[in-house]
Amino acid sequence: MDKKEIFLSIVLMVISMTIYILTYQFPQQTVALSPAVFPRFVSTCLFILSVALLIQGIAGVKKDSEQKKVELTLNKIFIIRLLLMIILAFFYTQILPLAGYIIATPPFLAGAMLLFNEKRWFRVMAVSIITTALLYILFRIVFKVFLPRFSLF
Amino acid sequence: MSAIIQGFLYVLYPLHFLFLLLGVAGGIIVGALPGLTASVGIILLLPLAYQLDPSTAMVMLCGEFCGAMYGGSISAILIAIPGTPSAAATVLDGYPLAQKGEAGKAIGIATISSAAGGIISTFCLMFIGPRLARLALKFGPEEYFALMIFGLTIIASVSGKSLVKGLISGFFGLLIATIGLDPVTGYARFSFNMPNLMAGFPFLPVLIGLFAISQIFIQLEAVGEKIKHFRQKIRNVLPSFKELKNLATVIIASSFLGTFIGIIPGTGGTIASFLAYSEAKRWSKNPDSFGKGNIIGVAAPEAANNGTTGGAMIPLLSLGIPGDVVTAVMLGILPLIGISPGPLLFKEHPEIINSIFAGMLLANVLILLLGILSVRLFPQVLMTPDAILFPVIFALCFLGAFSLNNSVYDMFIALIFGVIGYIMKKNNFPAAPVVLGVILGPIAEDELGRALIISHGDWTVLFQSPIAIFFYVISIFSLLSSLKRQFSIHPKTK
Repeated sequence: MDKKEIFLSIVLMVISMTIYILTYQFPQQTVALSPAVFPRFVSTCLFILSVALLIQGIAGVKKDSEQKKVELTLNKIFIIRLLLMIILAFFYTQILPLAGYIIATPPFLAGAMLLFNEKRWFRVMAVSIITTALLYILFRIVFKVFLPRFSLF
Repeated sequence: MSAIIQGFLYVLYPLHFLFLLLGVAGGIIVGALPGLTASVGIILLLPLAYQLDPSTAMVMLCGEFCGAMYGGSISAILIAIPGTPSAAATVLDGYPLAQKGEAGKAIGIATISSAAGGIISTFCLMFIGPRLARLALKFGPEEYFALMIFGLTIIASVSGKSLVKGLISGFFGLLIATIGLDPVTGYARFSFNMPNLMAGFPFLPVLIGLFAISQIFIQLEAVGEKIKHFRQKIRNVLPSFKELKNLATVIIASSFLGTFIGIIPGTGGTIASFLAYSEAKRWSKNPDSFGKGNIIGVAAPEAANNGTTGGAMIPLLSLGIPGDVVTAVMLGILPLIGISPGPLLFKEHPEIINSIFAGMLLANVLILLLGILSVRLFPQVLMTPDAILFPVIFALCFLGAFSLNNSVYDMFIALIFGVIGYIMKKNNFPAAPVVLGVILGPIAEDELGRALIISHGDWTVLFQSPIAIFFYVISIFSLLSSLKRQFSIHPKTK
């Protein structure tokens, strides 16, 4: 029995059923293709495939050694690193419009480098500042791409 | 002929040539670095591609595609880790050659074979592409719908280990595509009155998240692992004339094999290189030497995987359906740089087509030059620390997501799909079918809607055209062959 597959299949079943039910709110079209036809077809197929995945999960297909090896590496430290990276990236997307590209990017890059286990502070600072400067020059000055700027209001 | 010369003149214009060079060199580096693939390389070049005119952008992306396909062989030979999946077969003989102290020769042969494979396949593209496009110009909505159905069956071919998981990924992609305005009636589906959702999920951030950001999360797992380095001195890059003469037949045959495999939607470099390797071994007078450092074992897969580049571009440019994962990514991003792949591209924008032909030929010449001249730099490329590489890539991903619409929302979507892509990869759900679903789903729905409007709602119109029936038949054949392959690979799952 593969609990992860069973869990994923149940999530997918719920999603496909929700999608199917939501299509009843769509207006009916008689001349050509109704907006509900395609989502209904897709959600039905997804539901059937989720059932197949559920059966596969219950039948407990043996995991190969590669999968086992991958799972072993998913240790606690890695999970913390991963969560911190996602949080860092999320904050970057939120702070960027307020702080601007030049101010928000070096801390983001430095944080990401630290999470990749870079311990040399000089290297962290140098790479984060130089990369930000290079990207800014290339995209803002050379290609005239609008990049968010710091603004108090 | 004059059209091709015009293409060459366009690409050889210094600024355009510079971007081609950037594409090829960037492709080689991306291909050589384990963990980064040609698809990721193309995504990383996108912020730059928006700023260029369509022909230059396309030339750069094609250069990247060819370069990355070759670059995979470098790490395969030097440290026995294929930079891209299609270089996996090159490890078999490339690494034993490096262990014997002949890394230079192995890279030299890989370079020559890759360039030859790419050039031969580009000639095939130049010959077959326009003819196929001319045929496709006769297609109506019902034929296009059938073609898209065939395109969607590619999902089964790129499903990897589990067909069920591959199909789930594909239908997940189709589901994503249903969010936003319905192409036929204009009704906003699943938008929940949120203006951002009315336009559906922006495709590019979805792509950046699924392919690039998810890979950054995966690379976090490798933190602390010891990195393999290559410490020998690379010398004697060029093989002797006699060796080249002996390899010529294998290189030419493998190039054509790769091109043919590339044309078949849903295949790609990995299948082509292993097939070419096994064929070369089968036809060899000394098959026992394979796996122990036989130069033919390097030439055959490298000629074949670069042979797929031109082959995969044939269905992409002529029909608007992808030949492999990389061209699936290209199919999604071409409209963003102002190119609509399909038969009309040949009719309405021949200048783009000619620059693609010339660009691909010159890209392979550049591979030859860069591969031979900069071979001593390759071990240094492989020493790039992850702690610098991946944070910089992360910043580029966000910049790419932002720069299309100047939207922070797009960056947020890229992050969300990065997390989804990571969960998918960890649970062996392939990402490529999602891309196919997202791209081909709306086109299929649109063409179906058009066909039904023309026929006043008569569904039988879909089965009246012989061309459409042909596509349905090969779709069924494609699905059945995927099923057969699935059960032959995993007999225990029966």
